[in-house]
Parts: sequence; structure tokens; C-alpha cells
Amino acid sequence: MDKFLSGLKVAAGIGGVVLWAASQFWGILLVLLALGIQMYQNFSRMDREDAVKKLKDLGMSAFYPAVGILAAILIGGLIMAFTGYDPIRAYGALFYGGLVKNWHISLLNATPLIFTGLSIAVAFKAGLFNIGAEGQYYVGSMIATWLAIRFSLPVGLYIPVIFLLAGLSAAAYNIIPTLLKIRTGAHEVVTTMMFAHIATKYSTIFVRNNGGDPATSKHAYVTDAIGESNWLLPLKSIIPGANYRVHIGVLLALTVAVFIWYLLYKTRIGYEIRAVGANKTAAKTQGINSGRTIMTAMLIAGFLCGISGTTQVLGLEHKMYENLNAGYGWNGISVALLAGNDPIGVIFAAILWGILDAGGQYMARTTQTPSAVVEIIKGIILFLILAKYLYFWFGHKLFKGRRKAARGEAA
Amino acid sequence: MKKALLLLLVLSLGLSAVFASGGTETKKEAKLIAAMATDVGGLGDGSFNDGSYAGLQKAEADGIAEARVVESKQMTDYVPNLTGLAEDGANVVFAVGFLMADAIIEAAQNNPETKYAGIDIWVDPTTAPSNVLGISFNEHEAGYLAGIVAGYMTKEYASKSDRLNGDNVIGVVLGMDIPPCERYEVGFTAGARSVNPNVKVLQAVAGDFADQAKGKELTLAMIQQGADIVFQVAGLTGMGVIAAAQEEGTLAIGVDVDQYAAAPEAVLTSAMKGITEATYQTIQSVADGSFKGATNVSLGIKENAVGIAPYHNFDSIIPQAVKDAVNKAVADIKSGKITVPATRAEL
Amino acid sequence: MEFVIELLSATMRLATPIALAAMGAAVCERSGIVNIAMEGLMLIGAFFAAAVALATGSPWLGLLGGIIFGGLFSLLHAWSTVTLHINHTVSGAIINILAAGLTRFFMVEFYGHPGSSDMVQKTLGDINCAVPLLSKIPLLGPVLFDQSPTVYFMYFFVFFTTFLLNRTKLGLHIRAAGEHPMALETLGISVRKIRYIGVLYSGLLCGFAGSFLAIEYGRFFTEGMTGGRGFIALAANVSGGWTAVGSFVAALFFGFIDALQLKLQVMGIFKIPPEFFHMLPYAATVIAVAGLVRRSRPPADSGNDFSIEKEM
Repeated sequence: MDKFLSGLKVAAGIGGVVLWAASQFWGILLVLLALGIQMYQNFSRMDREDAVKKLKDLGMSAFYPAVGILAAILIGGLIMAFTGYDPIRAYGALFYGGLVKNWHISLLNATPLIFTGLSIAVAFKAGLFNIGAEGQYYVGSMIATWLAIRFSLPVGLYIPVIFLLAGLSAAAYNIIPTLLKIRTGAHEVVTTMMFAHIATKYSTIFVRNNGGDPATSKHAYVTDAIGESNWLLPLKSIIPGANYRVHIGVLLALTVAVFIWYLLYKTRIGYEIRAVGANKTAAKTQGINSGRTIMTAMLIAGFLCGISGTTQVLGLEHKMYENLNAGYGWNGISVALLAGNDPIGVIFAAILWGILDAGGQYMARTTQTPSAVVEIIKGIILFLILAKYLYFWFGHKLFKGRRKAARGEAA
Repeated sequence: MKKALLLLLVLSLGLSAVFASGGTETKKEAKLIAAMATDVGGLGDGSFNDGSYAGLQKAEADGIAEARVVESKQMTDYVPNLTGLAEDGANVVFAVGFLMADAIIEAAQNNPETKYAGIDIWVDPTTAPSNVLGISFNEHEAGYLAGIVAGYMTKEYASKSDRLNGDNVIGVVLGMDIPPCERYEVGFTAGARSVNPNVKVLQAVAGDFADQAKGKELTLAMIQQGADIVFQVAGLTGMGVIAAAQEEGTLAIGVDVDQYAAAPEAVLTSAMKGITEATYQTIQSVADGSFKGATNVSLGIKENAVGIAPYHNFDSIIPQAVKDAVNKAVADIKSGKITVPATRAEL
Repeated sequence: MEFVIELLSATMRLATPIALAAMGAAVCERSGIVNIAMEGLMLIGAFFAAAVALATGSPWLGLLGGIIFGGLFSLLHAWSTVTLHINHTVSGAIINILAAGLTRFFMVEFYGHPGSSDMVQKTLGDINCAVPLLSKIPLLGPVLFDQSPTVYFMYFFVFFTTFLLNRTKLGLHIRAAGEHPMALETLGISVRKIRYIGVLYSGLLCGFAGSFLAIEYGRFFTEGMTGGRGFIALAANVSGGWTAVGSFVAALFFGFIDALQLKLQVMGIFKIPPEFFHMLPYAATVIAVAGLVRRSRPPADSGNDFSIEKEM
């Protein structure tokens, strides 16, 4: 029985991820099934009391986001009704667009966010705030574009080289801020943010110098297109039925997230990173070199942002645009924190973010709701999901009087 | 937390099932539907996006078409927006901004029945599908006319207004160093030099289209260098240029639309491009069936699509000789006697 | 000489909004709350300053409106971080999203279109505030004492914030809330209340900075007009070692390099792509932080959630 369940778990997990990435959003049901089996197996090993307690905790932790999203829907609906838009139709469009109709866009939006979210999460684990992820993303994009425009090898043999070099360059971009942090104590919030601004400003020059030959193109603000053999494989070619724009970068992101989880929780490096992040002094007594660990974490963080940009260039855009304005680095911060810096949580947080973005666009388009209203509703949803103490607080305010009265009677 | 997020996803799945009925697309047959997708700049840029939307609204007011708009948030939104607007029943879809150059081709291939027009987009006529039209503007020609006015007023007729000084210096503030801005700047410089060969044209780039303070500080620096007329090609950053001119008692030249209303005493004129008109006419051409795709139109003075705004308060101050020179330049450009340079390399 | 005066005057103007927000951040972070919401708070302040000034015709009322709404909006950050225990950075990021959405929404509701508001006819910048004798001092006079009102307010806040943090009981409590909140709580002083005050202080100063941008430096409200200054202020506060004077100096430095790059661009001496000029302030900040700032230590408990239930 146990073996059968384990087998089913693995099959459902893999099948679910594949289907899910192939724009069949209900593939997530299979993933949930796999997780459910995992949970059942965990529980069956525990004794009854522990299991009940664990289940109760789980129920509680799910309760708050659930109430949060309902409250957000209510408040957002009131705003819309107040400003003259039909909330039911708008919400229908938001969820239908984000989860069903444009599910592939949600995935495309989530892919770079998974990488940048992981990057920030790894840095956070080491006690550092990699606020300059945007800059490393740009460096990765630029190096990937530069390499992919110039050379190509048949059947995408060159792609791993691009990933490696772009990732390493973005990692190298973190060396100076990290050295400054270790040697002089210059705060990484300042240095990485300044480095991010420098990279984004430089990208304008880069784009101008790498394309838009005015004789052949009217668009000097776009680099030349990269060779087709350097494109990431569309998912369609391995899973028929996938949307043609979704590429294997999605699967790469999921794999990398699992790998980072493994790195953080199952390896010596990960242990050191977490130890330094938790308490530098304690880490030192264990003989951990905190400077070296910080450097390792920041290099990993930079590498992840670099491959985020590379995935975007090779998989989706096939060239680099001036003024990308996507903010994947900045949004990655919220994604990482939304996930509580847990690598697996980052996947879900990034997808939630992607759904809100894609669904928001669908809602704006089909119901002609102004984008400002969509942004406000997005903000409220995120706020209320996170505000788990909101319900304690309300409960406290609501029931304080009653409890006091009861206490009075008892006395 | 991750389990909580997971449950959240499940919950939203359930909700999507409940609300899915509300999200179905409705197709209206009765009237022409004209739709547009903005680039990530969104409405309120005071330029391409606002101008196109005004054209759609005008068509709606005239009863030609129903207007729809969607503001894209990121690059990944372009294709689904352009495709989706067609799926929702739009007959003509405008893609506004060069960033959508690839997306418009992709969307047009997906929806061969729908007409697509790209504002500030150049399509390759040899490969583009027959339902795509690329529309661009000869901003340099409008800049040229504004340059003539500025070139005369800064030196020869400097005594006409106390907002002008004797120094032979004018300036241009760019939002970012991108082709539409460059075309305005180059045309302006060429126009000023055509009537005032020794004029010094200062140039600076703010690096942002929304930072008023930068625009103002750059203008103040130019004024300190002796500039008395500053041409803003910087979107909302340019509001700072106008503010500086208003405060320091100098002049500004507006861009894209007639910006007279922003500061009536300080806006000399505006270099305009008829995005609104071009959008409106494209909708008309779809309505009467004369729409022709797989080609590019480059709208300039010849098509009456670019030009300069009325002089308003300065009508009595600007001498007839200047107005004549502007009119002559218009005629010469129309007849092909003058070719206005469009890039710094040609200048 | 005139060039130097102009350069330094521009420095003061460019530094003012950053310095105001950075000093607010100093108090906020010393009380234990990380505030990356400053960008949004400034934007809200800017909008309401312009809206009130347009509606009433009085720039002073506009300034008041900007400060009040900046403060009110910051209470949302305080509520979410202190009372609801949301991670400070996430709360800040969400508030920035909300502020951008709200100002855009209000633009459409109030003025019928997004983008930029009508011109404010009479701004604070129009008020001549040259200090009679002091502005006649060569070089420093025109730079320091021939400015618009908010610049003087900024001077005041440098002293006031330093005084507040170092010389008052409240300041002691604020610093304790950021260093040893539990110790403060055991003394019977509510850490929550102190942190609310810290965030509110930063919100009011951000509202001030936003008002300066909209109705003193500029004459319009334009969407996204803060242009990343909230984040620069955060950096200024950190490189200023979480003190008011340090924040002020860091903001001045940043303003100086920014003014310099703008002037150099206009002078057109160096024929390099303009983007290199735009990078200059950021590169200079890195160099300054690397070379000048010795190990500065953030408040021990800054960014940490505080709840008595957990500590017990």
C-alpha cells in the first residue's frame, strides 16, 4: 500500500507539473494530490494526537489567507461598485483570465519572478537584502543577448554556455558590493541598489550599440534578434497542446527552485548560509567563515538573477528592448517575502503574482476597468493575504467586551 | 506559509469556477469596435498613448466606432492584449509604441480578420501580414518649424518680448535618447540653424519621462547658459521645463499636442504631431473599407499630420516675417525642396 | 563664481526632498520599522499638496494637505507592520503599489485624465524667502539663504530631528524601541505606540518632501514624479548611519553629484552618451559609501517584528 501510494505520489507530481506547465491549469490538481499523499504519509507515521494538532495548525494557517482573499474581494468589490463597475463580472474576468483563459501568461509572468524571488530568498537566508536584483537581472539579459546575437551552434548546444556565462557575469556583478559589505561594512541596500541603477542606465547604451542599424531597421531601441538556434525550446515541442509562447524556462525555474531548496536545507553550504543569517556570532563559534559564506550567498543570488534575464531573452523576447520596465527584480522582493523566503513557497508566490498580473490585464480588457482600479485591488489582495494578524486584531476588538463581561461574572 | 499559499491557489480555482460564467467574452456585432493597447507607459503620457486614445474617443463621439482601451503592464501582456482585443470583437486594434513591433505581427497572424495598426511602429512590408499597417510620424518636420520660430526669436526679434534675451542660445530637453525624441531635436536644430546659422543649441537628456524636477533643473542650467527658448521633448518631465520658463521669465516650446494651456504666458508654440487625427482616419478607413495593410505610412507635413500649434498670446508678438518663413518652409517641405534631417548623423 | 553658486543652489534644491525623507527614515528605522514605502508616501503627499493647492489657491494649505495625507497614509504602514505584523519590506512594497494606483485613480476622478494635473498658479517656490542679511554673504549667502521655504524647513528638521532623537525622552524611547524593544516594554512603555510615532514622523516628512516636489520645485502633479527618490532617501539614511545629520550630508552629496551631472550635460563639454551622466550620482554614492563610511551599525531590532506574545 505504502509503495503504491509513493508511486502514485511521484507520478501525480511529475504529471501534474508537466500538464500544468503545458497551460493545462488543472494539472495543479494532480500536484495537490501528490502533496496530499505526502501529507497523508507524514500523518500516518505520527500518533493520533500529534496528527490532530498538526492538522489544526494547517487549518489555521490556511484560514487566514482564505479569509484575507475573501475580505479583499469584498473591499475591492465595494470600490468597484462605488466607482460604477460591475464587481461580479470584473472578478469573474480576473480569475477566469488569470487561471483559465490566459493561464499561460500567468506562467510566463511567474517564470522570471521565480528566479529573482529565489535570488532574494537566498540572500535573505544569509541575512542580506539583495535589493539590487533588478540590476543583476539586466546584466544577465545583456550578456545573454550579446552572446546569443554573436554566435550560435546547431540544436541549441550553445544555450548552456549562454546560461552559464550570463549567470556568472551577473554573479560577478555582485562581487564589489559584497566585498564592500565584508571589508568596510557598506550596507548592501545602498550598494546593490546603486549598482542596479547603473546597470539599468547602461542597458540603454547597450541596446543602442547592439542593434537597430538605421539602414535596416526603424527601431533603434531594440537589439538585433538572436539566432533561432539559441531560442529556448517551446514547451509545445515536448508537450503537445501547450501554448506556443510557453517555453521550457518554466520547467527550468521549477527545477532550480527545488535545487535551491536542496542546497539550502540539505547541504553544508546551505547550512552555513542559514547559520550566518541566523546569528553571525554563533556561526563563528562553529568555525564558519561568515565573509566567505556571505560572498557565496550573494554569488548564488546574482547567478539566479542572471539566469532569470537569460531565460526571458532566450525564451520569450528573443532580443532585448530598451526601457524594459518589467521590474522583475523589484517584484522578486515581494515574491520572496510573500513566500517567507522558502524556495518552494517562492514558486507559489510567483505564480500568484503572475495570476494577479495576467488576470488583472484580462479584467481591464474585457470589462474596461481602469488599470488604476486593478492595481488597487491587487494591492489590497496582497495586503490582506499577508495580514494574518488582522483577524486576531478584529477578534480581539470584537470579543474583548464580551470576554470582560464573562470574567466579571466569574468574579 | 507555502501550504497557505497552496490553499489559496485552490481557493481561487474554486472561485474561478464560480465566476467563470461572468468572464465569458461577449461579441457585439452591431457597430465597429476600435480598440487600442498601450505600451507599458500607459495613458497619461501626454504623447502617443493619450493621442491615440483621443482619436478613438473622437471616433466614438462621431458614432463611427465603440472605443476600448487596455493599458499593458509588462512585455508579456502585449500579445494577449492585442490578440484578446480582437477575440473580444474589435474590428481594428491599435498597438501604440515601438515595443509592440513584434507583438503586433504575432497578433495579426493569429487574427487575420482583424485590422491592426501600429503607432510608431515600422513593419517589414515584405513579410508582414496584409492586415497590419505601420504608422510613424516625421517629428523632425514639426521640430524644424518650431526651430525656425525659435531661431528667429532668440536673436533677430529678441526685443519683441521681455522674456527673450540678447544671447544667441536656445535649448532642447529630451526625456530619453530614443528615435522620436532625436527626430524632434534634430529637426529643431536644423530649423533654427536654417534661419540663424550661428545659433547655439544646448541639448540635454533627463533620463526619465516623468521626473518634473529633472526637467526643471536642466532648464535652469540652460537659462544660466543664456538660453531663452527651451524646447521640451520629454513627456511629463517636460512639465518642469514649462514651469522653469514660467518662473524664470523665459519661453518654452511644447511638444506633441498644443501645450498652450499649461502656461499661457510662457509657451511660445508647440511642435505637434497628429496622432489623434491619424488614429481617427485609420478607423474611418476600416469603416469604409479602404484600409490597406502590409505597408507603412510615414506621416509628415505633406499629409498635414505634423506642424506647429497656433501662437495664441504670442500671435501679436511674433513678427509677420517669422510667420511667413514658417509658411514658406511648410510649402518647401511639401514640394520636396527641403528635406529635413531625421538623425544626428544626417545633421 | 556664478557657476559655482548656481551649482550649489541646485544641489540644495535637489537634496531637499531626499534629505527630508531620509531624516524621516532615520527616526522610523531607529524605532525599529524599515520603511521602503517612502516612495509611495511622497507620491501621495505630492498629489494631495497639488490637489489642495489647486482647490484652495493657497500653497500653504497645499503643503499642509500634503503633510497630513502623507502622515495618514504612513499610518497604514504602521498599522500593517506593528499591529498586523506584516513583514516591513512587503508592507512597504504593497503601499508603493497602492500609492501609484491611488494617485492615478484620483487623477482620473478629480481631473478626468491620468498624467499631469493643471498648473498650480501660485506655488511656494514663488514666495521670496531670501534671509535679509545672511543672503548677502558671498557664495554661501545665495546658496543657503536665498531659497524657497521648504529648504529652510529642512534646515530646521536637521536640528529638530537630532534634538528629538538624542535629547528628549521620546527620542530615548524611539532608540530603545529599535535596539531593545523588550527592555522598553518592561519599563511599561508601549513599543507599539513608539513605533507608530516613528512611522508617522517619517510619513509627515515624506508628505513634506512630496509637497516640495509638486508645489514648490514643480508646478504640477505628474504621475510617478518622485522618480525613485524614496529609495535614494533610504540609501541616504543608511549611508548617513541612521542619524539626521548623516542623512542630511548624504542627501547633499547625492544632490551635488546630480546637480553636477545635469550642469555638465547642458555645458556639453564631454561628448559621451547621456546615460553615463545619469549613472554618475549612483556610482559616486557607491564610491562615497565605500571610502567614507566606516562600519555603521543598523539599529539592532530594526526590521524585526515585535509581539509580546512571541517574546514571552
